[in-house]
Amino acid sequence: TRRRGDALRAFHAAIRSHPAGSKNPAAKEQAQGVMLKVLTAFKSSEIEQAVNSLDRNGVDLLMKYIYKGFEKPTENSSAILLQWHEKALAAGGLGSIVRVLTARKTV
Amino acid sequence: MAYHSFLLEPISCHAWNKDRTQIALCPNNHEVHIYRKDGAKWSKVHELKEHNGQVTGIDWAPESNRLVTCGTDRNAYVWTLKGNVWKPTLVILRINRAARCVKWSPKENKFAVGSGSRLISICYFEQENDWWVCKHIKKPIRSTVLSLDWHPNNVLLAAGSCDFKCRIFSAYIKEMEERPSPTPWGSKMPFGELMFESSSSCGWVHSICFSASGARVAWVSHDSTLCLADANKKMAVASLCTETLPLLAVTFITENSLVAAGHDCCPMLFTYEESQGTLTFGGKLDVPRQSSQRGLTARERFQNLDKKASSDTANATLDTLHKNSISQISVLVGGKANCSQFCTTGMDGGMSIWDVKSLESALKDLKIK
Repeated sequence: TRRRGDALRAFHAAIRSHPAGSKNPAAKEQAQGVMLKVLTAFKSSEIEQAVNSLDRNGVDLLMKYIYKGFEKPTENSSAILLQWHEKALAAGGLGSIVRVLTARKTV
Repeated sequence: MAYHSFLLEPISCHAWNKDRTQIALCPNNHEVHIYRKDGAKWSKVHELKEHNGQVTGIDWAPESNRLVTCGTDRNAYVWTLKGNVWKPTLVILRINRAARCVKWSPKENKFAVGSGSRLISICYFEQENDWWVCKHIKKPIRSTVLSLDWHPNNVLLAAGSCDFKCRIFSAYIKEMEERPSPTPWGSKMPFGELMFESSSSCGWVHSICFSASGARVAWVSHDSTLCLADANKKMAVASLCTETLPLLAVTFITENSLVAAGHDCCPMLFTYEESQGTLTFGGKLDVPRQSSQRGLTARERFQNLDKKASSDTANATLDTLHKNSISQISVLVGGKANCSQFCTTGMDGGMSIWDVKSLESALKDLKIK
């Protein structure tokens, strides 16, 4: 359907335009906001397919955004992020979480 | 797979003698214990007590049968067997932090020690003074050297460090050896020359290994990655972000295949595809025991859900042979070109011997290239 296609496109766009390496806190903050909006736009049943459309680097990046999102919870954000976390973990394994902890360039 | 539980504490490090009848290990203290194989049992035959701090590295030279040990007491000792007693000779490393790893060179006329002093001590025997002397490789190392491996030409040395980099240095000692011939890593090799440096990964480099030919070097880092640099491809680096917990030890078993292990407590196979320059995961090598699967009652399911937020009983116990992280892998038979048997030791105090042929037949999808 049209809405699902839009969400998936927005998702890939958000992944591609990540500002990792940027030292600009405002730019990073904005990117986090956009990503959270995009992740929220998905229906629970569509999350797995979206995650599986990512390559290894994309899954690692998604995991970084998820943990960043956990740091500043809004009313419903953690519940949504936990659903994404479950699917991202299945795709990236514990290694993707390790790389969130060891990353020197954060999202 | 033969598993022997030596200790209830971690085995800090180990080394085998040439014919694999004896193993020297540090039982998480200041000593080195040597065990000899006695049929199916292991008997302790020697206790080497000289270090004043934990022994962090042991290497056993196969031809000259000498042991070298290093420890947190900032010292290294070369041990020679006189009759039935191991006699130590102190080697002054001139470091002010703990020594962390030690390796004999292939010709056994030098050894290298990595330390927290952010340098590598290259030690060789000076005949006139009847004394081991050492030279330092310092630049551009910025943190503790955790692991070392020698190139087969007895000159080049790979070092993995806590500054997130893998480097290859020349450890050419003009006082005691011929000038080395050119290698794919370069032709000019004055002492301390940096022949290769990886770009930063994001994790401490725990273990590093040259392939049998010396044309490739592989390393594992704390960010759960495995990397390989190929000198025949202009030192191009292939890397793999693994799905596992960080790996602590890696070795080549053929020129294209690697076995690595770490905090997931089981050895795993990785394959390097030269034509594409890629590393891929080839599977876990621990054949799981057949665990009895009994059905859960509704009450047990609910209790699990309440306690662990999950209703399945898997992962309640470790199915792997090692019950804690594997910290070291050594090749037993076949060398790094055609390994048919390798050994792992870990923080569970256990030592396991793995037979490659048995693994290949037990794990149907395993492809060792």
